[in-house]
Amino acid sequence: MYQSLLTRRYLFSKVMPLLAALAVALSVAMVVVVWSVMGGFLNMLLGQGRGLIGDVAINYPVGSGGLAHYEELVDRLEADPAIDKATPTIETLALIAMPGGSSKPVQVIGIDPDGFHAVTGFHDRLYWAPIDTPVKGDTDGDDLRLDMDDRFVVAGESMRETDPDTGLDRPAVVPGIHVYGKNRRMAGGYYLVYDWFLPREEVTISVPIITRGGALAKMESRRFPVANEFKSGLFEADANWVYMPLGELQSMLLWDRGRRLDSGEETGAFMITEDGEEIWIEREVGDSPARVTNILMKAAPGVNEHECERAAEAVYRAFAQDHPNADEVPPPKTASGDLRDIWTWDKKPGLAVFIAAVRKETTLVLVLFSFISLTAVFLIFSIFWAIVSEKTKDIGILRALGATRSGVAWLFLRYGLALGLTGSGLGLGLAYLIVTNINLIHDWMGSALGVEIWNAETYYFTEIPNAVDPMHAGIVFTGGVVFSALGAFAPALRAALMDPVRALRFE
Amino acid sequence: MNMAPILEAKSVHKTFRLGRVDVPVLHGVDLAVEKGECVAVFGASGSGKSTLLHLLGGLDRPDKSPEATITFDGKDITRAGVRELDQYRGRRVGFVFQFYHLLPELTVLENTLIAPMVALGRFGYAKQSGALRERASGLLDTMGLSHRLKHRPVELSGGERQRVAIARALVNEPTLLLADEPTGNLDQATGASILDALMRVRTELDQTMVLVTHDNATAERADRVVHLADGVFETPAA
Ligand SMILES: Nc1ncnc2c1ncn2[C@@H]1O[C@H](COP(=O)(O)OP(=O)(O)OP(=O)(O)O)[C@@H](O)[C@H]1O
Ligand SMILES: [Mg+2]
Repeated sequence: MYQSLLTRRYLFSKVMPLLAALAVALSVAMVVVVWSVMGGFLNMLLGQGRGLIGDVAINYPVGSGGLAHYEELVDRLEADPAIDKATPTIETLALIAMPGGSSKPVQVIGIDPDGFHAVTGFHDRLYWAPIDTPVKGDTDGDDLRLDMDDRFVVAGESMRETDPDTGLDRPAVVPGIHVYGKNRRMAGGYYLVYDWFLPREEVTISVPIITRGGALAKMESRRFPVANEFKSGLFEADANWVYMPLGELQSMLLWDRGRRLDSGEETGAFMITEDGEEIWIEREVGDSPARVTNILMKAAPGVNEHECERAAEAVYRAFAQDHPNADEVPPPKTASGDLRDIWTWDKKPGLAVFIAAVRKETTLVLVLFSFISLTAVFLIFSIFWAIVSEKTKDIGILRALGATRSGVAWLFLRYGLALGLTGSGLGLGLAYLIVTNINLIHDWMGSALGVEIWNAETYYFTEIPNAVDPMHAGIVFTGGVVFSALGAFAPALRAALMDPVRALRFE
Repeated sequence: MNMAPILEAKSVHKTFRLGRVDVPVLHGVDLAVEKGECVAVFGASGSGKSTLLHLLGGLDRPDKSPEATITFDGKDITRAGVRELDQYRGRRVGFVFQFYHLLPELTVLENTLIAPMVALGRFGYAKQSGALRERASGLLDTMGLSHRLKHRPVELSGGERQRVAIARALVNEPTLLLADEPTGNLDQATGASILDALMRVRTELDQTMVLVTHDNATAERADRVVHLADGVFETPAA
């Protein structure tokens, strides 16, 4: 009875409880925001970065001559229960020339659209797909995707485009959204297009053809329509990668299946034409299989990437044994027992350094994070300790009037719980607002204050993680309530255990 | 007339420990109070009057010794458990503190009602809250505070606070009243009228009372006066 009366009066009679609730709210919000952004960053890295390139890859780069009989290898890999899907790709350096005359070096990746989608979920990354409602931040409805049909999706998924004028069906390419430097990312994460809308344009891709020895033989150039652009969120990929149909890239590299011709002295021959002209012709010396540089794999459900990697190794060893021609199927090279040319996604050159760095930073962040949490706990605890210690005399009075120790402790436990629940609830709401709008806030800070904290090139992602993990939120909320209650309960219990006279004299 | 005294203290010692120094305040106090009797305790400042009252009211414990006992209604409260002592303070004793000790967040009326709230518990109080409210306002009216029911202690004068403290001590209709200079902050006329009211209630309910005072006029209203000096009572009057 007296507990509810006093709790009410204590809660509403002074500013201190208000400050305490606010401190709890801010502490809870701070911890939730930090946890969400940091945890989200790692998840994005582990999820998105991985989705982009599959779980495990077999790699024989262009200079090594690549890998033949890959269709058979794909079938053998997919037959293994640890491997869900496998798809061949070619990765090589290239030059892209864009409308308007600018050109830049990129990484072209030749893919089989369906197989690549099965391994990496490629279709979901196509950016130019129709949407119904404007994204947050697009207040004027400027987003081109708002009134767009799905022709670019169709083109992107098949990597072919039908020319509206000639009706000609042609292979098409899909560059990353940041490859063309004039696609501007707007607050809220949609893009405005300046000068050229790439999916309606053509680009020229030039691929260096490299000899076995690694020397540049010549550049092979072809023009392609742009089917769509992709956005993975991983800045490195969005700014430097261009997908094109595997067959096209094979034919540009002279890696498609075909007769191998030789014009050397021993195999070539002179021929006399009907006109009496003498020409030197090449002679067919054999059949050359098509080649690729990579096989990307997706692990079967419940299989982790390391198990998948071991399975791929075993399959490859058997495959290499059945194809003794080292020129077509490189024999497995081993380094400390592992196959050197098979790696899990996080060991991919270029990405590996970054991932290792982030993993190390994670430890640092974790230390900082525990420090922040500890500070929050200490803050909450000491505020309640101070408020309740100030009430020691009241506790003495109540005890003198016959209140039991547990009765008094319960009074302050209620008080701490009430403030803790209010504060933590408020803090959770605040954190949710901040985290879900963090990109808008960041974009606003960029335009209004000129502060850019999240630089896409440094952090690898174009957007700051903006999801609150319900479990994390629950843990922090509980923490806020528990430490509030404990902070109030501990000094109350201490006062209640004193003789009433001592509590009454407490200053 | 009861033969056994309702309240009896025997060879009560109290020593305060300040760091390494022991400050002895009471050395072997003996006191017996009959039911319905009013005893006034006289003594110099610092002689230990308040200390004694705290011991009688179960707010503090005397020094441990096999001879020391404080019995109330046949029960030795120095050997009572924590729960028993809580009940003793809540149900049997009404205490008027020298320094009032009101709860600053509560109004005058709530400060009075807090005593039955604590003593009776949620259901006990809820059952008779109407009657208790009436009794509390009646008492505050007697104390001349009927126009102040909604005020906070900080808005009251010292004397007014003292009267709230008296109302709070009386509202539970305790068997034993312990009053530490209940009229110490009141002018002669107000003091006399408050004491009148107090005595009236007391005789009506046949309450036993121990009263600390410096004032001769107040002491004269008691059945008996005892003098506390050097930690013991000087030749207690029969
Ligand atoms: N908790 C305590 N710790 C240390 N000393 C104490 C404590 N309580 C009381 N004393 C000491 O005991 C002595 C008696 O105090 P007490 O309050 O009982 O005196 P009193 O007779 O009520 O005086 P007054 O008439 O001024 O109210 C004083 O010297 C005081 O300093
Ligand atoms: Mg005193």
